[in-house]
Amino acid sequence: MATILDLHSHSEASEDSRAPLEAYLNWIKLRHKERPVDGIVLTEHRQFNASPDYRALEDKFGLMVLKASEVETDYGHMLVFGVTDEMTRRFDFANVRLNAQELIDEVGRMGGVAVPCHPGRPTVGLYEHYAVKPPLQNVVAVEVLNGGSRKGEDDRSMELVHKYGYRAVGGSDSHLVSLIALCATRFEADIRSIEDLVRELKEGKYEPVDFRPKRKPVPAAVPDEVRHNGG
Amino acid sequence: MSIMKFDAVKIGDTLGPQEIHLSKDQVRTYARTCGMDVPRFTDDEGARAEGLPGMIAPGNMSLGMLSRLVTDWIGQSGARLARLGTTYRQPVQPGHTITLNGFVTHVEPAEKRVEIDVWIENEDAERLVIGTASVEFP
Amino acid sequence: MAVDYDPALIGKVFEVTDPVNVSAEDIGKFCTAISETNPLYTDEAAAKKGAYGGIVAPPSFAVTFRNGRHFFTHVPRFGRAGFDAGKDVEFRAPIRPGDKITLSSHVKEIYEKTGRSGSMVFVVVRSTVQNQNGEVVAHIDHRFMNRP
Repeated sequence: MATILDLHSHSEASEDSRAPLEAYLNWIKLRHKERPVDGIVLTEHRQFNASPDYRALEDKFGLMVLKASEVETDYGHMLVFGVTDEMTRRFDFANVRLNAQELIDEVGRMGGVAVPCHPGRPTVGLYEHYAVKPPLQNVVAVEVLNGGSRKGEDDRSMELVHKYGYRAVGGSDSHLVSLIALCATRFEADIRSIEDLVRELKEGKYEPVDFRPKRKPVPAAVPDEVRHNGG
Repeated sequence: MSIMKFDAVKIGDTLGPQEIHLSKDQVRTYARTCGMDVPRFTDDEGARAEGLPGMIAPGNMSLGMLSRLVTDWIGQSGARLARLGTTYRQPVQPGHTITLNGFVTHVEPAEKRVEIDVWIENEDAERLVIGTASVEFP
Repeated sequence: MAVDYDPALIGKVFEVTDPVNVSAEDIGKFCTAISETNPLYTDEAAAKKGAYGGIVAPPSFAVTFRNGRHFFTHVPRFGRAGFDAGKDVEFRAPIRPGDKITLSSHVKEIYEKTGRSGSMVFVVVRSTVQNQNGEVVAHIDHRFMNRP
């Protein structure tokens, strides 16, 4: 039974987000037809909060809330799923210059998975770093669909998928209530926990899904000669 | 569209969209009125010398436009704008059409308070400024 | 490698401004600058019947006291260019013609992050805006972005 999750979102715990978790869940309920997700993953900037227990909210809204982090490395930003105490002792999540290869390898060894996010974004995405440095080893998947991407950035992410055979995920990168779950990832398997998610990211089948409303195409400018000839 | 009563407000209600074609003169007027008569807000060459793509609207001006989006929505209902927070993600450049939008995201009956997402987007629907507002009804 | 600054800075008021007079004309000019036509802010007769009993400044007038020419003194800097990264404003009381406004400011927080344009250090300055009656008009968190 498939599971659709927004793998990348920020609540008020991230200093640049203005979205309370409950408001996110309420919005998903409101917009469930257009954004049919089963839950979200909170990926707060440069921190991991193990203590909050979201079971009451999960029950109230019938949605899953999983916890992860977005950290900053010498190859750009990465989402870390399956964070443990051992990981937060080994890596200072507030450090904006973590060693990406060490992070990928040791997080993997400790039972989690690190996924480069918005790889097509300038400075903080893999694409630009690969232009000047050797590619990372042992990358499982990259985020090719990011709700905060600008023109062309997700296309650049796809180039990495084609070139290196990475798997692809999607997430909203939401910092505002109304932007949650605009992009997500559809997993073939049934996911009920962070352990399930880590296992599926490493071994399962999944694809990014885009729930953003289609914009009306901007009419192309008609060249003068064509207009005058009634073309 | 002005809202009159708290009870009529629902999650999902929209503010705007309000399209503004921002002109350089408008930006200069704002900058000069508010003691911000510096190159980055008044002159393309001067702004480029600072690494900007051209002259930009001050962040305060974006905050002012979003504030007006909310106070227009409030209309004469007696409600007040209690809080407005903004994050400037990309420069807002004059000579472009920007669109201001908002969504009511939370209604708190005990405090007669409404929370609103607000943002400014460019012609490519990229969000240049994002923010949230709290409105308190009498 | 965390940002290098003196922790004693945090929370210490580094500036209290001299009172600035706000005239009806100042409010009028500001309304023109933001194309504001709401009668609460522009029409004395209509404003008298409104919630505030007279003309008040639009809310965003509260952020105009510290910027540009009148920038904060003694805000820690971390290298080149400073940019306004955003503001969080709590509006408490309206500003009226005849008010004398002061700001008392301290550094609330300093942190580092990386983004599209590179490494950035954020300095958050919290200002309490008061009028001549000691009433708090607003609290403003200014976020300044520096590029080291």
